[in-house]
Amino acid sequence: MFCSSLFFYGWWNWRFVFLLLWAIASNWFAGTQIDKHLQLGSKDSARNWMRTAIAGDLALLGVFKYYDFFAVELSNLLGSGTTIPLLELTLPVGISFFTFQAMSYVIDMHRKLIKPMPVLDFAVYLSFFPQLVAGPIVRASEMAPQISRRPDPRQVASGEAFQLILRGLFKKVVISSWLASTIVDDVFANPEGHSSQDVLLGVYGYAIQIYADFSGYTDIAIGVALLLGFRFPTNFDRPYRALSLREFWKRWHITLSSWLRDYLYIPLGGNRGKKADTYRNLLITMILGGLWHGSTWNFVIWGAIHGVALAVERLLPKWQIHPVVRWIATFHVVCFAWIFFRAESLSAAIQVLKTIVIPSGPVDLSNALLMLVLAAMLLAQFIPDSRSEEVKQWLNRRGILTQGLAFGFVLVLIDMFGPDGVAPFIYFQF
Amino acid sequence: MENDTGSQINPQSKAGGFPAGQVLLSGIVGLMLAACINSSALLTDAERLPDGRSRSLSVAIWTPIEAAASAFKLTWPRTVGDSLLGRSSDEGEIALHREQIEVASELPSEEWLVFSAEEEQRAELQLDQGAPHTSGSVWDPENPFTIWVLGDSMVQFFGETFVMMAEKSPSVSATAEPKLASGLSRPDYFDWPARISEVMTTHDPDAVILMFGGNDAQNIRADDGSWLDRFSERWEEEYRRRISLVMDLAASKPERIVLWVGQPPMRGPGFDSRMEQLNDLYRAEANERQGVHYLDLRSLFTDGSGNYARYLLDSSGQLVDVRLTDGVHLSHWGGEWLSEFLLKEIKKSPEVEELWNE
Repeated sequence: MFCSSLFFYGWWNWRFVFLLLWAIASNWFAGTQIDKHLQLGSKDSARNWMRTAIAGDLALLGVFKYYDFFAVELSNLLGSGTTIPLLELTLPVGISFFTFQAMSYVIDMHRKLIKPMPVLDFAVYLSFFPQLVAGPIVRASEMAPQISRRPDPRQVASGEAFQLILRGLFKKVVISSWLASTIVDDVFANPEGHSSQDVLLGVYGYAIQIYADFSGYTDIAIGVALLLGFRFPTNFDRPYRALSLREFWKRWHITLSSWLRDYLYIPLGGNRGKKADTYRNLLITMILGGLWHGSTWNFVIWGAIHGVALAVERLLPKWQIHPVVRWIATFHVVCFAWIFFRAESLSAAIQVLKTIVIPSGPVDLSNALLMLVLAAMLLAQFIPDSRSEEVKQWLNRRGILTQGLAFGFVLVLIDMFGPDGVAPFIYFQF
Repeated sequence: MENDTGSQINPQSKAGGFPAGQVLLSGIVGLMLAACINSSALLTDAERLPDGRSRSLSVAIWTPIEAAASAFKLTWPRTVGDSLLGRSSDEGEIALHREQIEVASELPSEEWLVFSAEEEQRAELQLDQGAPHTSGSVWDPENPFTIWVLGDSMVQFFGETFVMMAEKSPSVSATAEPKLASGLSRPDYFDWPARISEVMTTHDPDAVILMFGGNDAQNIRADDGSWLDRFSERWEEEYRRRISLVMDLAASKPERIVLWVGQPPMRGPGFDSRMEQLNDLYRAEANERQGVHYLDLRSLFTDGSGNYARYLLDSSGQLVDVRLTDGVHLSHWGGEWLSEFLLKEIKKSPEVEELWNE
């Protein structure tokens, strides 16, 4: 499994295999040292090892992901004539995901939540190919028992796995790619050239596109892992049915939001102190969560919008507001933040917002099919769990050959409905 | 909320399952079924690959599978589906235009591009003045000055920005049409001469911006079906013929502004050198024509030492990232730079410049 994962990662760029190996070796070694010093009662040494490992992981992220951003900002701040040397490095795919997993390992070790893993098990955990490039961010406490137990080859949950893979492919190849090419890319590239209606639908379209894209990848990753005998945690739970921002973050990219909660928000003090401290902690957590996605001001603003909205939600009195109003408000705050997430620059995001209010172009992208797809995808968020479970059970009851044939036939349908040239997954860049 | 957590996770806990061997076998059967139903599309994809071992292997694999699947009518569901979705009609359209181009190419040049005496005079004047410019037509919002930007994925990264900047004038209508992974090397994937001919005939633009090359440093297929090795003498001859066809189609109207955008410097030295070789060909063909203006991007996207750079200083002395992390495409800011540069070129004609001064 470890060799397959390295081969998978090296296929993209073999040089970065060494980076992954370094992350495996350094964090595993730090983990064993933390455990050893905790056993000996030397808490300070254990803490120092944990801090060293975290610093090493953050240094990797800093060099590859953030150095140029801060160097450019500093150069521009210092004015002409001052140029800080830039590294211009290629961003290793999945670095944000595997470094976060590595950090959770050493922190959980220090918190005595887990025991040291054998080196090969840890290597499989950190490099496991289905989740290596775009998550979900799986904790060692979730994977270690599964790796050590070894999957049972007599009972593979094929029905559920096939269903997840097909669902993920449908969301990515058909929905996400279609929305991108039909409206989203055009609207965000040239908002001024479109009507308010087109731009607004483009923003809604992006909300659905990024959900279909990322949750689609997660579904495929979970399905593939299931075929290999591993079960990943749920990463998306119909986020656009949320009636508050707080609920949204319990349903959107759950493995990242719970990581930020457990390893950042709570250590910062969480909501244990004064109200003002809670708001500060929320803002810091969400801004850093935004920066995790990429080193641009737009991601910082995206995180800040969520941080402020979460704080405002806590500030508001507990009125009895109709759920429909709450849903509309929550969905639109999320969409408002998506504008900054998707736009190429701050000025481009402002242009999108301006065009929603002041129309400038003709209505030429909106059509009945688009609105139908957007409405259907939003309504799908309200389908109860039981329905999805029924489909799963139906597929599970079929014979294994029927499952395989159904899998093949639906693959053809997905390919047929998908546009030519499907773009890479959005979250590969993070 | 079905949020599984912690060590309670058990892959077999939620459903019964089948032995791994049976699952593997059923997966293979499913994939084989999909491959058979989809074999025509997969063979087409294989044929579109760049010439080389991968292509030969893929074609060798998919040809017999497609033949067998067709013989047993297994490709029928996909064919019906495609025709219901209207997918096959595009191919017919392109083939039709290719026919028209071939007819046009066979005509003597004076019959193909018949200029009036007035047009010839105008063309001579244009040649005297060096830069391309237009006749004194009057454009307004009802009858806008039209610009088309056509090309490969490079156009995708600046095309809409250019459109946005160009359409700041209400008397200008701009359209960007990128086609990913396309170029002049592989008309079997996308037939640019056919598309350009269609755009010129249907829309008769006042200005055309063309940018190709990123996908063109590959072997190309000659009319007799043989493969011509990249940058060989015969390859160069054929590729130049294709450039000249596209340039002639775009410049078929003397007063039309035709800008051919060269490839910017690339991060990879090998790729950069190949793009430079292509730039030489574009430059040489453009120099042979009075109606086509070649634009060199190297000085626009290099640092003080003349090398590729991702970050460059803008006019206010601020560092901006002009290239994407792939070392090939332009970033949003790079797209703005190029769009400004292109608009400046188009505005070299005083009548056209007035459009943005209204």
